[in-house]
Amino acid sequence: MSEQTQDTVGTAPAADADPPEPVEQERLTEDAVEAAAAERAEKLSTAPRTDDGIAVPSLGALGMLRWTWRQLTSMRIALVLLFMLSLAAIPGSILPQNSIDPSKVTTFYQSHTKWAPILNDLRLFDVFESPWFGAIYGLLFISLIGCIVPRSWAHFKAMRANPPAAPRNLKRLPVHASFSTTAEADEVLKLAAKRLRGRRFKTVRGEDRAGGWVSSEKGFLRETGNLLFHLSLIGILIGIAIGHFLGYKGAVLVTEGTGFSDTVTSYDSLTLGPWVGAQDLPDFSFTLNKFSATYQESGDQFAQPRTFDAYVSFKSSPSAKARNEDVQVNSPMTINGTNVFLEGHGYSPVVEVKNGKGDVLFDGPVTFLGQDEYFDSSGAIKAPSNVKNGTDLGFQGWFLPTAYISSGAMPASIFPAAQNPMLILSAYSGNLNMNGGEDQSVYSLDTTDMKQLNVKSKSASASAGNALELKVGQTATLPNELGSITFVGVKQWAQFNIAYDPGQKVVLPSAVLAVLGLIGSLGLRRRRIWVRVTEQADGTRLVEVAGLARTEGATPTAEVTQTAQSLAAAVRQPVPDGAPA
Amino acid sequence: MSINENFAHYSNLFIALALVGYAAAFFAYCGEWAFGTSSRFGKSVEKVGTAAEGVKLGKQAAAPKVEAVNAVDGGNGVTVLTRAVAEEEEPTIAGDNLRAEIVGRFAVMATFIGFAFHAAGVLFRGLAAHRVPWANMYEFSCAAALAMSFAYLVLLVLRKKVRWMGLPVTGIVLLTLGIAYTLLYTDAEELVPALHSYWLYIHVTAAVISTGAFGVATVATILYLLKSANEEGGLRRFNSTFDRLPSSVALDRTAYRVIAFIFPLWTFAIMAGAVWAEKAWGRYWGWDPKETWSFIVWVVYAAYLHARATHGWKGKAAAYVALIAFACVLFNYFGVNTLLTGKHSYAGL
Ligand code: HEM
Repeated sequence: MSEQTQDTVGTAPAADADPPEPVEQERLTEDAVEAAAAERAEKLSTAPRTDDGIAVPSLGALGMLRWTWRQLTSMRIALVLLFMLSLAAIPGSILPQNSIDPSKVTTFYQSHTKWAPILNDLRLFDVFESPWFGAIYGLLFISLIGCIVPRSWAHFKAMRANPPAAPRNLKRLPVHASFSTTAEADEVLKLAAKRLRGRRFKTVRGEDRAGGWVSSEKGFLRETGNLLFHLSLIGILIGIAIGHFLGYKGAVLVTEGTGFSDTVTSYDSLTLGPWVGAQDLPDFSFTLNKFSATYQESGDQFAQPRTFDAYVSFKSSPSAKARNEDVQVNSPMTINGTNVFLEGHGYSPVVEVKNGKGDVLFDGPVTFLGQDEYFDSSGAIKAPSNVKNGTDLGFQGWFLPTAYISSGAMPASIFPAAQNPMLILSAYSGNLNMNGGEDQSVYSLDTTDMKQLNVKSKSASASAGNALELKVGQTATLPNELGSITFVGVKQWAQFNIAYDPGQKVVLPSAVLAVLGLIGSLGLRRRRIWVRVTEQADGTRLVEVAGLARTEGATPTAEVTQTAQSLAAAVRQPVPDGAPA
Repeated sequence: MSINENFAHYSNLFIALALVGYAAAFFAYCGEWAFGTSSRFGKSVEKVGTAAEGVKLGKQAAAPKVEAVNAVDGGNGVTVLTRAVAEEEEPTIAGDNLRAEIVGRFAVMATFIGFAFHAAGVLFRGLAAHRVPWANMYEFSCAAALAMSFAYLVLLVLRKKVRWMGLPVTGIVLLTLGIAYTLLYTDAEELVPALHSYWLYIHVTAAVISTGAFGVATVATILYLLKSANEEGGLRRFNSTFDRLPSSVALDRTAYRVIAFIFPLWTFAIMAGAVWAEKAWGRYWGWDPKETWSFIVWVVYAAYLHARATHGWKGKAAAYVALIAFACVLFNYFGVNTLLTGKHSYAGL
C-alpha cells in the first residue's frame, strides 16, 4: 500500500480541507518528539513503505510481483478501477442486452447489420456477463481485499493500543482551553481522566519533564465502520455468486383455467445455476383461476393500469391440499423458498375451427401477445388437419380488446380492457409444416406451403382488407367449403416468473451492514483530547485542555471547552484571570 | 379510492404560487448581490486589487490566509483559544449597503413563502391521490426541488452561514419546478400496479432527498471551483463578487459534508430499490437502465470520496469528480426516463 492510505489514517486527510491543521501537525511533531513517535508507531502501515508509488524497482521477479501487488492495492488504482467500472456499465444501459430483452437485440441486429456483429464480438450485448466487465470488478475486489484486510488487522491493533502521549505545547493545537488552579496536579488529572472516560474516550495518563498529562481518543468506530463497509461489499459479492451457482429462474405463461406444474418441461424458459439439476426443482403446481385487471378510464393517464390480480390455487406438493391466493405485482406467492411473481398479462381469444365436414380441428384459447398499451395483440391460430395429408387451416392477425372501427383506417383497440373484443384474421389453407421437427413460433404461421384465402366477408369494414372480422359469438365460413371459424370467447393469460435465489440470505445482511458501516464511516468523528497540568512560577498550576480532529474539519471545539469548564468548576479553585495571554 | 379533484386543483395552484415566490426570491437575491457590490467591503477589496496591480501581485496576496487566534472567555476563569483562517470570518453579501440588506431580507422571506406554498402543493398532491406525492416525474421533480430548498432553509434556520447559497438554490429550484410545471405535468391519479408498495415510500423518498442534497452539494462544488480559480488570480473582474463568498476551503468542505452526509442515504435508496425489485420482479438486481445508472452514480460518488483521500486527487480533481457524479444524477433522471426503456416506468412521464 502506498503513502495515501497511511495518511488517511493519520491526521492528514483533515489537511486538504483545513489548512491550519497540517501546519499544526508539523509543529506538533517538531515539538513533541515522543508524541510524534507514538503517532508514527500508530500509523496503519500495512505494507513496506514506498516513498514513490510509481517508481518501478529494479528487483527480480519477486520484487516485480510485490510491486504489482502494492500498486494494485493502492488507493490510486482503486480510484481508477472505480472509474472504469462506471464507464464500463454505460454501454450496458444504452445498447439492448441479451440478459434483459433478447428480442431487442435481434431487432438491433436487423437494423444495424454492419455494426451489430462487431458489437457482439466485443460482448456489448452481454456487458454485465462479459469477461472485460468481470475483469474490472474482479480487480477491484482483489484490490479491496488487499487493501482492507491488512488495514483491518492494523486497526484491530490500534484499537487495543493506548492513545499517544500528549504533545509538549498544547497551545499550538487548533483548539485550546486553559485555566489556573491551586488544586493538586494529581487531583486534576485524575478527574480529567475520569471525565473523559465518562464520555467514552479511550484515556491514558502519563508524565514527562513538563508535567503530568492525560491523553484520550474517541471515534475508533469511524475506521471500524469504513472497514465494515468494505468487507460487506465482499459479502454482497459472495451472495451474488451463491445465487448464481445455486439459484434458478424460469418463466411460464398460464391461461385462465389452465395450470402449471414445476417440472422442467412446463417452463417456457428456465435458467438453472451451474450447481442445480432438474431434480432439484420443487414440485409445486398451481392453476390460474381468473385474472383481472382494471385501468384508468379518463384523464391524461387514460388506459394506465391500476390493478392486476391473478387468482390462483396452488399445491405446494402433489399430495398437499390446494390453497387459493391472489398474486399481485408487488406481492409474490412464496412456496418453500421459491417465489412466484406476476410479470405480465395478455389475451387468449377462444376459437373453434372446423373443417368442411364439420369436424372440430381446433378448440381452445390461443395466446396473443399485446403490442401496445391498448393491447392490440398479435397471434396465430393453427388448426392441423385431422387426417393424414389433409388440408391444414391457419389464421393470423390481431385481437383487439376494445375495437374501434373508423372508415379509412385500420381497426384498432382504444382501451386495454376487453370491452368490445374483435378478431381480425387472415385465413390460410395448405400445409402448416408442423411435423417438420423444427421449432415453430406459436405466435406466427409458417405460410410457405399455404395459400391465403379470399375471406373478405360482407360485414367486414373496407379497411380490414382481405381479413375476417369476428365478434364474440360470430362464425365465419371459409370459401371453397374448407370449413369455418367461431370466436367463442375471451380468456386472459398471465406470465409468472419463478425464482429461487439462496444468495439473498447473504446479500441482504451484507447490504444492511454496508449501510451501517457507511453511516459510521462518514458520520462519526475521530478526535483526540489532551489535558496537561504544569507548575507555574507563582505556585499555581496551569491546566490546559486541547483537541485535534483526525477527521476533516471536525475540530472538537465544544468538547474541549466543556471539558475545561467542567474541570474548572469541579476543582473549584480556579484563579480568576489566571490564564496567561 | 378516487381522486380528490379539489385537492388536486389546490395543489396545482400552490405550485404556481410557489413559482411566483421563488421567482421573487431569486430576483431579490440577484438584487442583493448587485447592490452589495458597492459596499464598504467591496470597495476595500477593490483598493487592494489596484494596489496589488502595480507590484504584479495576484489576488492571492489579498486573500487572507493568515491564521488568527480567537480568545474567548469561557467562564469559570477558562480561556478558550480557537485557531481559524481569518478568511472564514464570513463576509456578508450585502456588506454595509442598506439597500442590499433590505433586498436580502426580502429574498429570504420570499424563499420561505415560496417554500410554504411549495410544501403545501406537494402535500395536497398527496392528499388528493391518497399516496406519497412522488410517483411520477412531475411529482418527483416537485419533491426533489422541495428537498433542496428545505435543506437550504434548515441550514439558514440553524444559523449556518449559507446565505451565499440563496441565489443558486432558488435558481435551481425555480428551474426544476418550472420544467416540472410546464413540461412534465400530469394529473393526480392513482398508481400503476407496479408502484403499489410501501417500498415506494421508502425507496423513492430516499431517492428524492438524495437528489435534492446532491444538487446542493453541486452548487457548493461549482462555487468552490470558481472561487479557487479566483483565489489563484483568475476571474478578477468578479473579485468583488467572489470576496463575498466563503473561502474556497469552506466551500469545498460544505460540498464534502453534504455528500458525506447523503451518500449513505443514496446507498440505502439503491438497496431499498433492490429489495423492492426483488418483491416486484423476482430479482433484486437486473441491470435495468435505471439500476445501471443509479449504480454509476453511486460508484462515481464513491470515487469522489476516494479521491479526497488519494494523494494527487484532492481539491479540484475531486471536485470535478463530484460534478461528473451529478451529471450522472441528472442523466439518471431525465435521460434514463425519457431516452432509454426499462422496467422503471414513471406513469404518465
Ligand atoms: C467496490 C468498490 C468500492 C467502493 C464502492 C468504495 C467506497 C468507499 C466509500 C464510500 C468510502 C468513504 C468512506 C470515507 O470517506 O470515510 C471509502 C473509503 C475508503 N476506501 Fe473504498 N470503496 C471501494 C473499493 C476500495 C478499494 C479497492 C480500496 C483499496 C485499495 C478502498 C480503500 C478505501 C479506503 C482506504 C478508504 C478510507 C478513506 C478515508 O479514510 O477517507 N476502497 N470507500
